[in-house]
Amino acid sequence: MTRRLASGVLVSVALVTAAPVHAYLKFGVQVGTETVDVRWPDESVRYFLNERDIAGVSAADFRAAVGRAAATWQAVPGVRLRFEDQGFTTAAPVGLDGRNTIGFLDRPDLDRVLGSTSLLLDADTGALVEADIFFNTRFPWSVAQQGESGRVDLESVVLHELGHFIGLGHSAIGETEPSPTGGRRVLGSGAVMFPIALSPGATADRVLQADDMAGAQDLYGDGSLSSGSIVGRVTKSGRGVYGAHVLAVNLETGRMVAGFTLAGDGSFVIAGLDPGPHVLRVEPLDDADVESFLSGAVDVDFRAAFASRFAVAPAGGSSASIEIQVVPK
Amino acid sequence: MRRRLRVAALLPLISACIVAASPALSAQSADVPSPVPHHVTVSAGLLWSGGYAIGDRTVELRGNAVGPTAPPFTLFRAESSVDASAGVTGRAGFAVTRDVTVEFGVSYQQPGITTSLAQDAEAPAVTIDAERLSQYVFDAAVLWQLPRFKFGTRARPFVIGGGGYLRQLYQERTLVEHGSVYYAGAGIRYWLRGGDGSTRAFGIRADGRLQWRLDGVEFESKTRVGPGFTALAFFEF
Repeated sequence: MTRRLASGVLVSVALVTAAPVHAYLKFGVQVGTETVDVRWPDESVRYFLNERDIAGVSAADFRAAVGRAAATWQAVPGVRLRFEDQGFTTAAPVGLDGRNTIGFLDRPDLDRVLGSTSLLLDADTGALVEADIFFNTRFPWSVAQQGESGRVDLESVVLHELGHFIGLGHSAIGETEPSPTGGRRVLGSGAVMFPIALSPGATADRVLQADDMAGAQDLYGDGSLSSGSIVGRVTKSGRGVYGAHVLAVNLETGRMVAGFTLAGDGSFVIAGLDPGPHVLRVEPLDDADVESFLSGAVDVDFRAAFASRFAVAPAGGSSASIEIQVVPK
Repeated sequence: MRRRLRVAALLPLISACIVAASPALSAQSADVPSPVPHHVTVSAGLLWSGGYAIGDRTVELRGNAVGPTAPPFTLFRAESSVDASAGVTGRAGFAVTRDVTVEFGVSYQQPGITTSLAQDAEAPAVTIDAERLSQYVFDAAVLWQLPRFKFGTRARPFVIGGGGYLRQLYQERTLVEHGSVYYAGAGIRYWLRGGDGSTRAFGIRADGRLQWRLDGVEFESKTRVGPGFTALAFFEF
């Protein structure tokens, strides 16, 4: 998966053993008649770092930034996951070599791709076998603690790519507008896993948001959390809507976790929620390329809307199904 | 909300007026009605609680700007309140003296929650009747019948104060919220029969009160104050 600086242009990255996205903010793979999560089979994941220096970022700086981002994912409450730094390597962060490699790569052709993660998985089980991450040297990078105007914050992008590395897809919690230079500019973002990066110099994406953490807890949860889930359907003129983005907001905590309608009947499941009442807001996937999130015929021809009542996520359980009706634009 | 606060502020004033300024008020005499000490009184009736706000929230995304203080992007704004509601209540009291009664009670109401959603750049503003709660309050109180005052030969004013446990269940009964309620108020007890200790007594009573709620269904962890009224029939054994 790729992260774009501000792209409206479809960028195809053929480095990945492409896994279709079936589940909310997780990668999934079809095994028989079931969709299974793509995840590491063990709680310990090893990685190597390419030893290359680039302008403004030494190999030591790079290693430190990756270490901080890895520690951020490890620190998510209720998650059993551990990254192990195996040191430097001369191997490039691409290709199949049996090692998970993270490093810089010259990709001037990808003029809007900041970083990219390629995943190799066992198609029979969904288990990850190998993952590599590269960061594009085409862009000016920074590891300055407060960020650096005009330079992309490395730790923020590492944190995003490590999300893919552990099996998360893109989140759609964000609002954008067309950019005068092409592509889209982020107005606001509610997840590190939003597919379009904040402006160069911004460092807000060093901190995981509720949606990011819910995804990690869903994949690698240790069972210590008594979170709940909300289920329902999005319909338009009585028919299910595929690819609608459903945001659940807990009015007590302010936490935002989202999901997608992933079937033709418009059904959705949002897991990893704090118990309590949630406001549900539905919107079309029109703030980034649809392909950043889902494959298939995504319906974006409807207006944003709220559910007509609360959806209550019970502790350790699931809500009654709620239907949200939308109207065409 | 302003109207609610005004009503709430008026209640103790009204109660004080009833107690202190009624022309029918007179000093206590030997024929004033009272509960018989060490007797039990059972009451049942209706109650009403005023609505109250439970929290405003501006739902925000992180803004896109350089530096740690980037202004947030407002996604929408939500204002929520618990609606006024009526319910039923039952109480049991024990007269410690002629003027002081200790009471225990339970009440049940089904207030609704209303949430207004606005300031969304994409979705139209809406008000959702979000949820109907099943609400129970288990409380204890002290009722003090003002010893110096009465209204005629059958009615006497009292003040009451107490507190208890608040239990609120969401509509689907899948989640319980816990909290506490405290209240203080004043009212009148009117004996239809008895009150002089010579026979089994019964009558009616009503009071107005201010209620302080802590926790329960609450989005801002604030103490909420609102008015309440009860009207009961009582039987003394």
